[in-house]
Amino acid sequence: MMMMSGGGRGGRSSSASTATKTSSWAVSASGKRIQREMAELNMDPPPDCSAGPKGDNLYHWVATIVGPQGTPYEGGIYFLDITFPSDYPFNPPKVVFKTRMYHCNVDTAGNLSLDILKDSWSPALTVTKVLLAIRSFFTNPDPSDNPLIPGIARLYLADRAKHDELAAEWTRRFAK
Amino acid sequence: MSSDSITAASVPSAANARDLGKKKRANRSAKLKQCKLDARREQWLSQGTAKNRGFKEEQNGGVQCGKGGNRALENLEMSSRGEDMDRSIHQDSDLDSPSNSPTSATSSVLGGADSSTNFTGSGSSGSSSSSSSGGCCSGCITEDEEGGGEDDGDGLDDWETMADALAADEDKPQGQNPSSESESVAQVVSPRQVTDGTGLRDGDSKLECPKMVSGACGNSRAWRPDDAFRPRSLPNLSKQQSLPNPDRHYGGGGVAWASKSVVSAPTSCPICCEDLDGTDSSFLPCLCGFRLCLFCHKRILEEDARCPGCRKPYETDPIEAEASVNGGSLTFRLARCCSMITRS
Repeated sequence: MMMMSGGGRGGRSSSASTATKTSSWAVSASGKRIQREMAELNMDPPPDCSAGPKGDNLYHWVATIVGPQGTPYEGGIYFLDITFPSDYPFNPPKVVFKTRMYHCNVDTAGNLSLDILKDSWSPALTVTKVLLAIRSFFTNPDPSDNPLIPGIARLYLADRAKHDELAAEWTRRFAK
Repeated sequence: MSSDSITAASVPSAANARDLGKKKRANRSAKLKQCKLDARREQWLSQGTAKNRGFKEEQNGGVQCGKGGNRALENLEMSSRGEDMDRSIHQDSDLDSPSNSPTSATSSVLGGADSSTNFTGSGSSGSSSSSSSGGCCSGCITEDEEGGGEDDGDGLDDWETMADALAADEDKPQGQNPSSESESVAQVVSPRQVTDGTGLRDGDSKLECPKMVSGACGNSRAWRPDDAFRPRSLPNLSKQQSLPNPDRHYGGGGVAWASKSVVSAPTSCPICCEDLDGTDSSFLPCLCGFRLCLFCHKRILEEDARCPGCRKPYETDPIEAEASVNGGSLTFRLARCCSMITRS
């Protein structure tokens, strides 16, 4: 009787610890990487960018990009939500603009068409590199390669001054 | 018994001589051996002085030979004579070598000097097992010729196998066959000549002479005072003196490889941020030099199978080759990878 109860307890505890270990490994496999990226961001933040966890959840970040000088987005502060998948970095994080912007590569829901966040994702990329790539979109929109908003892309190609004027207008309205 | 196979391969009549020597040695008494030994030593001392004179005049490197000449030859004659007992009795083919006149043996005695340092075990055993005193120099000459031939052909190969054979030899019990041990020690002569002789493998005894004679001097001090104890003590001494040098060479190479691999090893996997262990550090899956741990690599192979560093598809064949390369080429790849990482 004692043997049975002891064995039962042992079996239960061992299975419980195994389950905990598995889940903690799954968390730590990507969590360690995300923590490392967070430390690197704090140590050496990219220009005009900041990022960090939204709250306790390591997998939900909020990032900000300040509109670069010399662009119609100058002076605007753009918020982004970054959601890491559980198998990060083997799959890319999901990045969504929470601030509206007049940009041919950002749709009204805030989704952006960035190749490195889709097919060209590499596990060697980091949040820092993703933010820098998004920031380069501010200065150099990509209207030719399958833009999310074709109207803005067309205007950008046809009448750059008008496009910049509208973008600056949106920046004043939504990003400040 | 790797030493036995080697000696049988290199010296065809060695096994025959060994068996005979074993039998004969068992029938001899130690006292008789000692008496004959002393008598022959005196006889050889008188011969050796004459031989030494002519021998010195013929030598180009006479300084080194002359320096150690007297003592070296004295001891050399002791051992080579004993050894030639062994040879002249048990190896019939050796007997048709040149006669035992000292002058005809001038050049070959030089080679015999080196063999004598390593053949002391066989020398004593040979003298103990044989009562005949004929063919004084013939054994010495033939042994030198044998050694020269081995040097020409497969000196380095012999050395690699002999290192193992000697290691196994030390594990043998005390009552081992002395002639087999002497044969194995004899193999040491050829690699040492190759390594010490700085590429003089053609058996040119005149050029190799100085080193051999000096080696004989070094050895002679160890066993000369008590000739009675030569059988047990000297084989060990000659082994110890011949082994450390190559050991140091190999050890140094190993240390160099280890330090290189330590220097070039990155700290952690860039994908999962876990520390890279030794296997991961030597793992270079892509030619672009991007490294990652084996776990992450396996995971990537299961998905899109592209290198995270260059986005090119992984090729599975080079990975296998990479994992199976030996130490030398692996070191090369590590060094190259290190340079690429620092560049990027």
